[in-house]
Order: sequence, then C-alpha cells, then structure tokens
Amino acid sequence: MQKKAKLILTEAKEAFEKSPTTKLLYDLKVKYLGKQGLFSELMKGLGKLSKEDRPQVGKEVNIVKNELESAYQVRLQQLDDLEMNKKLQTEHLDLTLPGPDAPRGNQHPLTQTMQEIVGILSKIGFTVRTGPLIETDWYNFEALNIPKDHPARDMQDTFYIDDTHVLRTHTSPVQIHTMQDEKPPIRILSPGSVFRCDADVTHSPNFYQIEGLLIDKDVSMAHLKGTISFFVKQYFGTKIKTRFRPSFFPFTEPSAEVDCSCPQCNGKGCRICSHTGWIEIGGSGLVHPNVIKSAGLDSDEFTGYAFGFGVERMAMIKYGVDDIRLFNENDVRFLGQFN
Amino acid sequence: MKLSLKWLNEYVDVEEFFENPQSLGDMLTRAGLELEGIESHRDNYKNIVIGKIVEKAKHPDADKLSLCKVDVGDKVVPIVCGAKNHNQGDYVVAALPGAVLPGDFKIKKSKIRGEESCGMLCSEKELGLSDESAGIITLKKATAGQSFVDHYELNDVVFDLSVTPNRADCLSHVGLAREVSCLLGRPLKLNEPQFKTSKESTKKIVTLSLEDSGNCPRYAGRVIRGVKVGASPLWLQKKLEAVDINSINNIVDITNFVMLELGQPLHAFDLKQLGGPKVVISKSKHQEAFKTLDGTELKLTGDELVIRDSQGPIALAGVIGGVNSGVTDETQDLFLESAHFTQKTVRQTARRFGIETDSSYRFSRGTDPEGVVFAMNRACELIQTLAGGDVAEDFYDEYPKPFKKQTILVNKAFIQSKLGYEVDESEFEDWMSRLGCEVSGSAKQWKVLVPTYRWDLNESVDLVEEYARLHGYENIPEYLPEVSTEPIVKDTSFELERHVESILTTQGYMQAMNYHFINYKEQVDFLKATEPLKAVGLKTTSTPVRVKNPLNEELDSMRLSLLPGLTRNLTHNVRHGNEFGRLYEIGACFSFGADKEYQQHYNLAFMCWGQKESLWEKPASRPVVYDLKSSIENMMTQLNIKNFEWRGFDAAPDFVHPGQCSGLFCEGQLIGFIGSMHPSRLKTLKIKEDVAVAELDWERLLRRQPRVSSFAPLSKFPSVERDLAFVMPQGLASVAVTKEIKKAAGALLEDVRAFDVYRGEHIGEDEKCISFKLRYQDKKGTLNDGQIKKLQQDVINSVTTQLSVRIR
Repeated sequence: MQKKAKLILTEAKEAFEKSPTTKLLYDLKVKYLGKQGLFSELMKGLGKLSKEDRPQVGKEVNIVKNELESAYQVRLQQLDDLEMNKKLQTEHLDLTLPGPDAPRGNQHPLTQTMQEIVGILSKIGFTVRTGPLIETDWYNFEALNIPKDHPARDMQDTFYIDDTHVLRTHTSPVQIHTMQDEKPPIRILSPGSVFRCDADVTHSPNFYQIEGLLIDKDVSMAHLKGTISFFVKQYFGTKIKTRFRPSFFPFTEPSAEVDCSCPQCNGKGCRICSHTGWIEIGGSGLVHPNVIKSAGLDSDEFTGYAFGFGVERMAMIKYGVDDIRLFNENDVRFLGQFN
Repeated sequence: MKLSLKWLNEYVDVEEFFENPQSLGDMLTRAGLELEGIESHRDNYKNIVIGKIVEKAKHPDADKLSLCKVDVGDKVVPIVCGAKNHNQGDYVVAALPGAVLPGDFKIKKSKIRGEESCGMLCSEKELGLSDESAGIITLKKATAGQSFVDHYELNDVVFDLSVTPNRADCLSHVGLAREVSCLLGRPLKLNEPQFKTSKESTKKIVTLSLEDSGNCPRYAGRVIRGVKVGASPLWLQKKLEAVDINSINNIVDITNFVMLELGQPLHAFDLKQLGGPKVVISKSKHQEAFKTLDGTELKLTGDELVIRDSQGPIALAGVIGGVNSGVTDETQDLFLESAHFTQKTVRQTARRFGIETDSSYRFSRGTDPEGVVFAMNRACELIQTLAGGDVAEDFYDEYPKPFKKQTILVNKAFIQSKLGYEVDESEFEDWMSRLGCEVSGSAKQWKVLVPTYRWDLNESVDLVEEYARLHGYENIPEYLPEVSTEPIVKDTSFELERHVESILTTQGYMQAMNYHFINYKEQVDFLKATEPLKAVGLKTTSTPVRVKNPLNEELDSMRLSLLPGLTRNLTHNVRHGNEFGRLYEIGACFSFGADKEYQQHYNLAFMCWGQKESLWEKPASRPVVYDLKSSIENMMTQLNIKNFEWRGFDAAPDFVHPGQCSGLFCEGQLIGFIGSMHPSRLKTLKIKEDVAVAELDWERLLRRQPRVSSFAPLSKFPSVERDLAFVMPQGLASVAVTKEIKKAAGALLEDVRAFDVYRGEHIGEDEKCISFKLRYQDKKGTLNDGQIKKLQQDVINSVTTQLSVRIR
C-alpha cells in the first residue's frame, strides 16, 4: 500500500510539474487529492488491513499525502507567479496619454470679485442687499441729495427709460430702500449692475458696483477709514496702503476718494498706475444728513458711512485685465482663466 | 480746469513751485482738487540752450555743411550745421545731447563726415514753434548758456485740475489763488480796478429792465464808448494760449481773461446793434427764433432766460450771445454785461440745446453774486488800457434782493464725533478764517459766517469736511466699527445664486455676463414673438422696455430673455475657434406688465455647444441637449427639489428645434424649457456644432429655498434588479412608460431608468425598443422570487394594456 502511495505521489508530482495553468493544476488536484480522488480510493484500502498494521500504514500513507499536498502548493505558487507576471506584462498602460477631460467651469471673474469682497466684509457683519435696476428718478437722484438741475447730475451720464424712470446709475438707491425697510443698526453690501452713457477701454455702459452702507449711532470718518483699510489689506494684501483724498459726492459729507498703493508695482510706479504709485479704487464718505432724512430716519440720532467700488476696476487691478470689454464678450478662453 | 502757474503767481507767491510743480499739484490733490496732469515746457525743452557762434568754418569734407564752435555758457562745443543763414557772432538755439525735439527726435553726440558734432542748431520748425522756417534761428542779443525756455519765456507750467461740481469757486485763477493762499497761509494779492470815467451816463444811453429777478438775481451793465477793436497784446495772447483759449480780438479776449481770472463770465454787446438801445432780461417767447454767434438757428420754447433788445433776443442768458449783437472789428461802443444767472436756468438752457460754453459751464455750477461789479470794473480797466475808450460814469446794478452771507452753527463735539479724533480749537478757527469765514463764539458753539463765493457751504457737516481736508485726511485715525449683534437679514437670491454657481461650475459650466440691454431689432429677430416664452413658463410680456437715450442703437432695448445675448456669445466663440462651450447666465430681464409697470424678472439660461472629443477614446456622439438635461436635473436634485419632470409640448419657441424641445415642470408648474437650437438658425449663424439651450424662471427656483436635506434610513435588506424591454411607437415619450411602471409597481419600486434604446431590424420601422432597469426594495424584509415575479407581471400587464406598447 505504501508502495502504491509512493507511485501515485511520483505520478502526481510529475503531472503537477507539467501542468501549464492553475486551472489544469486544480483539475489534477481533484484527480489525486479530491474526495473521489486516487488517494481517497487508496485510503479506503486501510480498512482491509490488520488492526496492528493500520496505524503504521495509515501514518505513512498520510505522510505521502501531505507531501503531495505541499507539492501542489509549491506548483500553485509557481503558476500564480507566472500568471501574475504575464498579466502585468500584458496590462501595461501608456499613462502619458491624456485622460478624459474632467469638467472644468468657473464663475465669471466679476462674480468672483464681488464674492471675494462680500466674503471679506461679511467678517465684520455686512450682509448683501440688492435692488431693482430700473429706478425712479427719486430713488436714483433726489433721495440721494441730487436735486433736479444740480450740476452733480452731470457726474453721471444717465440712461432714461421715460421722464421719471432711469436705469440706475449707481447702487446707492439700495441705501434708501434698506433704510426705509430696516431699523438701524444697518450694515449692508449691495453688489450689482449699474448703467452710464459711456464706453471705451476703461468704461462700460453697463458695469458693476459694490457698495457698503453702515447706519448706527456715532459713526465717524475714522470708522470709515478703518473699514476700508481693513478691506484693502484683505483684498490686495497686507503691504498695500490706503490713501484718502477729499472729494465730492452729493450723498456724502465729508466725502473721500479712496486710493490704494499700486498692487502691481507695490507703489513704485508702473504702467497700471500711470507711474504715480497709486490707484483710485472708489468713493466714500459719511452719509449726508439729507439722505438719512429722505429715507425717513432721524439724522440727528443716526449717522453712517457709505463706500463704493467699481467691480470691473477691482478685477482689472487684481488680474491685470487691460480692456473692460472682455468682461462681456464671454469668450471661453477668457472666462477659463479665472479659477 | 487749466491753471497757469505764471498767472497764479500774480495773485499769490508760488515762485518756488516753478522748480517743483509736482509738489504744488500734490498739495492741491490732498486738498480735494485732483491733479490730472502737468504740462511743463521746461521738461519739453530740456538741454536746449542759447549759444554763441564763436567760430564758423567750412566742413573739410562737405561743401554744404559748416563747422561751428559754439559757446554754450560753461564750455565751447563743436557743432556741424547744414543751414546757411548764420554767421560768426550770432546767437543761436543749440540742442545739446540729451535733448528731445518735437517728433521724438533725440539729440546725440555724433560724427558727421568725420567731424565731431555735439548737438544741433535749431530752426523754429524743428523746435515746434512754427510750421515753416527758412534757416536756423539767429538772434542778435542774448546770453549764451541761458536756457531756451527762459529766453523765450516758455517757462510756464500748466496744471490740469479736476474740479468737483461743488467747487465752482475754483474755476478761476483768483479762485485757485484763494485756495492756495489758504493752504500756504500766504496773502492774496488782488487790486481794486483803476480807470477813468467820462461824463456820460449808462442809464441815459441804455434803458434796462430786469423782468425775471428769480432767474437773474443780479444784472450789471456799463457803457464804454470809442474803443479800438484790434489784436490783443502778446502777454494777453500768451496767457489765454496757456490755458487753451484762442485769441480773437482785444475785447473778446478781455472778457475771457476776466472770466478765467475771476470766474465771472462777461458779455460785451455792440451798443450800435442794440435796438432801442434797450436791454430786457426776461423769459423767451414760445417758438421765437434765435441765431447764436456761431450761426446755429434755434427755436426757443418760452422757458429760456434771454437778454433782448427792442427787436428780439440778443443772447441766451449765460449760455451764448447772438450773431447780430456781438463785437466785430467795426465795433466802437460797448455795453458790457456782468450778471448773476441762477445755476438752474443756465443749466436747463444749455442742456436743452446741447450748447456748453465756458460761460454756461461756470454759471451752471454757480458764480459769486457779490463778484459781479468787481469783474465788470476789472474788464473796464483792461479795455481802457488795451483798447482805449471812455467808461461811462454810472452803471446799472439791478440787485433787488442782495445775498446774505450764510451763517452756520457748529460745535467742537459735533466735529469730533464725525471725524473720530480730538479737534484743536484754535486750529479750527484758524482754518476757517483762512478760508475767508468770520468766526465768532466758542467751541461750545461757533458761529461761522461763510463768504458768498463758497455757496457750497450750507450746513455744519460741510464745515466738518472743510476742517478735515485742511487738517489733512491722512491725519484721520483708523478704527473698525464694533460689530453689532443684531440678527442679519439674508438675501436668499444672492446666496442661492452662489450655490447654483458652485453646482454648475463643478459640472463644467462657465458663467457668462451680458449687458442688460441689446439691439431692439436683433432681439425681435431672435425671439420673433414672446408668446412662446410665456407658454414655456417665463415671466415675459410682449412689450420690451426701450432706452430713451441709448448710447448707440446696438444697445437700445432692455432684454426680454437671456438667450439673444448668449447667442451673441455663441457666435463670438465659434468665430474665434472655440468649438466647445458650456455657458450659463443668471440675470434680470425686463418687460412691461399688464398694469404698464416695469417688470424686472430673473432668469437662468444655458447655452451649450459642441461635444468634447477625446484624443484617443471613442468620440462622444450623443446630442448636446441630453448633457444639458442631466446638468439641470443634477441642479434640481442638489437644490432638494424632488418633484420635477419633463413634458413635451407643442408651442416651442421659434429658435428651438420643434422635435427636440421639452418643458420643465416643477411641483406641477411649468417653469421653463430645454431644447436644441433650430437647425435653420444654426445655418444662418453658420454654426456647424450641435447647440442646446434652456431658459428657466430663476425666481421659481428660489421658492422655499434653502431647502434642507432630510434623512431617510438606509435599508438593511438587499435590493433586486430586473430588466424589461418594451417595443413602442417612435412618437411615444419614454416618460409615459416610466410613469406607468411606477404606478403598477408601487412602493416596492425603488428606481426605474431607461438604459438602452434600439431601433432597426426585428421591430417595425416606426417603432423603438426601450429597455428599463427596475430596482425593487423592501425596507422591511428581503423580497422573494415569487413577490418579484408577481411585481414584474403586474408591470408588464399594466404597461401593455394602458399604452400601445408590447413586451419584447
């Protein structure tokens, strides 16, 4: 019996060695070591042996069987390795080929600019308020201390819809709407589209402004200056300086024009800042008492400040865009540059 | 406003700024008069000096050239010259190395035919002084080494200042001198006009009647007889030239000079041409004709303030004179007008006829009523000096209600609260008096009497600004305001816009922003009729809002829809080789409502064209409109809007393919459409790419936003998937089948979606076969085979009996 077992072992070992694939190897395993396999058949013969011989023979046959088992495992490992190597060789990918284009979209640079400004000023409590684009003469001018036939009307070339309606020339009418609707303290930002009869490389007839309004008790120029300095440092960088210049806007008194040191050249002077080192970014001032009154609030009790920036201008300064018309052509090669 | 430094220097000492004009410009900018530019001949004519020819010899190697030794003050230099008109001993103008002549001609040291030449001797033409010149400039008397600008008195510096509408007092040299004298604390030099008067009486020669003192609070006039009209002296011509005013004749030049000096516009009438002679200041008559001095014929409306004689209007008050009454070369006798017209009347008239003159510009910004007579007399003085003539002894000064100086009360605490810093009392008083104000009282309450030329100062905040700007805006400290803890009102639309943008941009969409106006005809041609837009759920009426005074006709109408603008973007992009694009825009559209009110409504629109072809993979060939559809569905899902569906409809807008169009129903309501662009439109636009568009009612999407996601428990039991294929007519919408499937399968159906569409062999020509994948799920237990078989059978029965559909 032991002899027979050894014969099977030799035969099986040879068959295992010759087996070319794991699948055929498995078939051989079934043939020799399966439940109905040759070894099982052989083991059935144990019953015919004497009680004394049985343990010894059984033990020896089992040793042979275990040897066959490990021969199988060794061959299996060999074949696995071979097959894996083959797989690795055939599955080579040229990863220098381009992958499929992932979708890539983005917000308009003007939206990104407004969004960034809103993000900065919301840290100090400003929230967004918007308003209609077609306004009455009263909201756009009179309530903002610009009476009819005031020379200040010449500062803004106005598009008229009819005798009493205009395309708003600034976002400032939102100040009036807000003061009429809400009780102080008020802290709003109003981004949006405005219109002026003017068009060239730096002027668009339909452009965007973002305006801030704060109404509270005891608001001073120092608060205004602090707010704008904070904003400029956050938006352009901590090295950028802010400069206030006296100016005139009918809806503020005192009024100030805001310049910042040129972010492109750090104030050394370059083409962007016309070699002055400074760039004008917007207007500001303390809200004129007449404006507070026309919105129905007590101008003795409440004071406030307002400021406004041109969104295109902020974007042009920050990104170095040199022609305002690019913002409205919506050329995907342009839009795709602002991530 | 152009400011000549030489001229300014006559009224206040600004001598030191000739060397450094920028610092004066900076000072004015800091005070609120923004410097826009400086023109300095000194810079233009750098390194150009007067030289003396100490030796003239022939060039050894060229017959037409001479070799000169020129004394240029500190040295003698050799210069080769091609002119013939110069001699030894002449003074000449020498441009030395470093000089740049007009036309960007740079002078360098060079060798001409082997001889060294250290500059160039210049002609008037080469210096830009005249258009033609024969030979170089030669002078008999001069100083070698003196700079060319000093010799020619071209050493003026002209500032271009931006004067804000409130500071009309700075629209003159004396006005600016006043500002500079205040800023520097130096005295203002202004002399009382001096002239001789004759025995004649203005009032006897001319009758005058001021009939509209509301629009003309003050009117002064004086007769001057026997003037000699002629050319102005050089000094006057140069002064006017410096600030870009053309010289005409001595009388007109003097009126312009006084306006630029004092800010008071004047007008000189030819006395002989005055009918009457009579002067009436009144409103015009309706339909009255008037011819301006430049020949323009106007029809007056009855609203303009005019000056008239016995025949008719002779001037539009404060705006422009008439053709028949002006000063000519033959004029001998003058009636000189100096008046105060109100800002409103002059501005209205100037705007009505579109005439802006230096006079109307100043009157509509405001002039000093108290300066009227001074200016008139200053002109009399100059006329007598430069043109001769007898000034009448008396003059008209109709001034029924003299202006009172404005008194403003202000206190220190108020100023401090506005500025946020400690105010020095004596400094405040000092600045106010330097401004020309009279200050009385104390810091508890100052009483400030404002001069009449500062009519922009009316209330206490105005004085706060004056103090702040004179003390220096740079000295205002910086504090952040305390953050209030009041609840914040949110602008949902703004926030949702950003949310939707983040959804769309991650799907590859770029945001477009177009003008809110568009060409009327282009819009009509695109939309044809707006009814279909209404029919697809957009809030548009058929009447567009027009702009009364458009910039050009390209932009004469407000947009009714976002798609005409996006179509412009499409053609722009395709024309520039961008064959693929995904754009969206959120923006306002405008129309008239039924109640004739302006209606502003926000839409969300899409413009998608082309499919991206991969370089080595199979190119994507599905219609673009399906990409857009899935993006919109994705957006709806991310907005937590669960109840929405697509339905076909008949009334497709004109620009959309009638067979590729569908409506979006949101919670039972039609809110917009999607579709492919009509092939005939693409043909016209010469676009080969497949194009899909959509426009949705943005405000409808805002409803109940932000919607919060709600949690649904996850099932512990496995789901089961089964496929079913149905054959149906081409025209049947797949959504009809899905609906029927959902109805039949009930709550155990988790999801159903079409995954294959087949047309071709084995089925009829006008049929299609759609395969659906159904996913069943029971949250309470595992579904067994019997249950699933029954569900499938129910679905098949229901679909095939309810619709003309068969199972495949």
